[in-house]
Amino acid sequence: MARQPDDTAAAKIKSDDAALIRELALLLDETSLTEIEIERAGLRIRVARNITIAAGMPAGFQPAAAAAPVATAATTVADIAKHPGMVPSPMVGTAYWASEPGAKPFIEVGSKVSVGQTLLIIEAMKTMNQIPSPRAGTVTQILIEDGQPVEFGEPLVIIE
Amino acid sequence: MVFAIRFATRYSPFATRNVMFDKILIANRGEIALRVLRACKELGIATVAVHSTADADAMHVRLADESVCIGPPPSKDSYLNVPALLAACEITGADAVHPGYGFLSENARFAEILADHNLHFIGPKAEHIRLMGDKIEAKKTAKKLGIPVVPGSEGAVGPDDDAMAIAKAIGFPVLVKAAAGGGGRGMKVAQTADELALALSTAAHEAKSAFGDASVYLEKYLQKPRHIEIQVLGDGRGGAIHLGERDCSLQRRHQKVWEEGPSPVLTAAARARIGATCAKAMQNMKYLGVGTIEFLFEDGEFYFIEMNTRIQVEHPVTEMITDIDLVLEQIRIAAGGELPATQDQIQIIGHAIECRVNAENPQTFRPSPGRISRYHPPGGLGVRIDSAVYQGYVIPPYYDSLVGKLIVHGKTRAECLMRLRRALDEMVVDGIETTLPLFRALVREPAIIDGDYHIHWLEQYLAGSPAVS
Repeated sequence: MARQPDDTAAAKIKSDDAALIRELALLLDETSLTEIEIERAGLRIRVARNITIAAGMPAGFQPAAAAAPVATAATTVADIAKHPGMVPSPMVGTAYWASEPGAKPFIEVGSKVSVGQTLLIIEAMKTMNQIPSPRAGTVTQILIEDGQPVEFGEPLVIIE
Repeated sequence: MVFAIRFATRYSPFATRNVMFDKILIANRGEIALRVLRACKELGIATVAVHSTADADAMHVRLADESVCIGPPPSKDSYLNVPALLAACEITGADAVHPGYGFLSENARFAEILADHNLHFIGPKAEHIRLMGDKIEAKKTAKKLGIPVVPGSEGAVGPDDDAMAIAKAIGFPVLVKAAAGGGGRGMKVAQTADELALALSTAAHEAKSAFGDASVYLEKYLQKPRHIEIQVLGDGRGGAIHLGERDCSLQRRHQKVWEEGPSPVLTAAARARIGATCAKAMQNMKYLGVGTIEFLFEDGEFYFIEMNTRIQVEHPVTEMITDIDLVLEQIRIAAGGELPATQDQIQIIGHAIECRVNAENPQTFRPSPGRISRYHPPGGLGVRIDSAVYQGYVIPPYYDSLVGKLIVHGKTRAECLMRLRRALDEMVVDGIETTLPLFRALVREPAIIDGDYHIHWLEQYLAGSPAVS
């Protein structure tokens, strides 16, 4: 650990020092650095950015993806998951838009559906399961492709 | 969540194959799921992690090639949900399933269902799982195979049997055990003849509600036995070896807390004898995969209690002293591979101790789920942590309370104990209560240092001990 500047020097913050600190702060903003520290005769200045770790992420654990792009993508996925009109998959399987290849899809964007109306089919182990709508409303988004494998809880459609 | 669609390879599960699996679905959670994932990665096998919504942030889910959420938190809707597991195999194209321990690992029906769907179950043949799952049949089989058993009733004690006469022939105290039980559950002691009727009815009632089967049988109750188990490995074609023993006498409510190998009380000759008996029995059975044959050991005699047809929690103890990766061998053998060594090539080197660190209060053992605010695992030569936790991880309240296993190896038992003491002192798990203080006390306890304990020792210690700090 570097030797701390003695108290008398630290007590006097000269105007040049204030300008220097301001300049360092600007530099911090312009670059993606989180901390800048300089030291010269009797004075050491450290300017640091406050980091808050997103809830749920383990500190220090970095999967090999850049932090910023992942954060943006994660917000969008999280938005859909929290959307009040989101209909999650009740099972694991392969989702199909229609009852069989070539048939008309059960719904499309803009379709009006009633409670219990079949939205799509999820197939697992050769059994076809019709997925009913939990509410009445309009289909505003279809979130899965025809023939896409889905997991439990996966967002299927948004009905508002 | 990443998916890769492929057609499952169609192999008859019972033909000998020398082709390794392409993709394994890990049908478990927590530390053992991570353990299996590690072996798969070392074998170059693609991994599928299935998980409940509560385990979406699990370490093995993050590390797996693909993951599938299979249900809400309750085990019956997720990890025990056979249709969901099969559907997950289907959409990911997995060709084999590793069941870990607990959950479906000893479910013969699950093994058969997988075979019906041309999927490999990484474990023993369904008939052997079934055989050893019924504790009465297991004991009969053990006897037939020449394995010494605890004196007891010949099969279940029904309402028409003269339980008192059978008990008197065995000699009090006797233990009433559930036929469908196991893992230490469904057992009641009758110290004297007066207690027999109550023990029988209570045990039957508990067995019915816990296992759906009220059948009970009687066994001699040993006063101060040690729990010594033998690790076996079979290739399914009549080849089988043993990998020595683990002493798991330190238990609380029949749950193992501290395991070590070799046992402080077994001589090389005794080990060779019981080991050979077990290996021979597995050869005769044409047993496939890993297994553990559990004994009570008292006054130099071994008494068979049960066989576990799966990988066990404490398998790392054996791995450290034999240098054999048991999970890796499980996978290789399930794919038709050979045993890793002949019996002569198996060597027991040094000593290993495992401590099961639970998220529980170290005195009351009340579960303590929650967020691990600070985590530092110990390291260094001979120190191994099998755990899936990390700093910031939230232990869910729906499953077992295991934080992780600390396994330490040393050239001698004394060196192992010193290293364990050092490792325990270094380990940090903050934010939840853990049983680390209990282990720090145990490693300093004279009886433990002397290796002088039995299966009732820990409960007696906990009942009479001063507060552990």
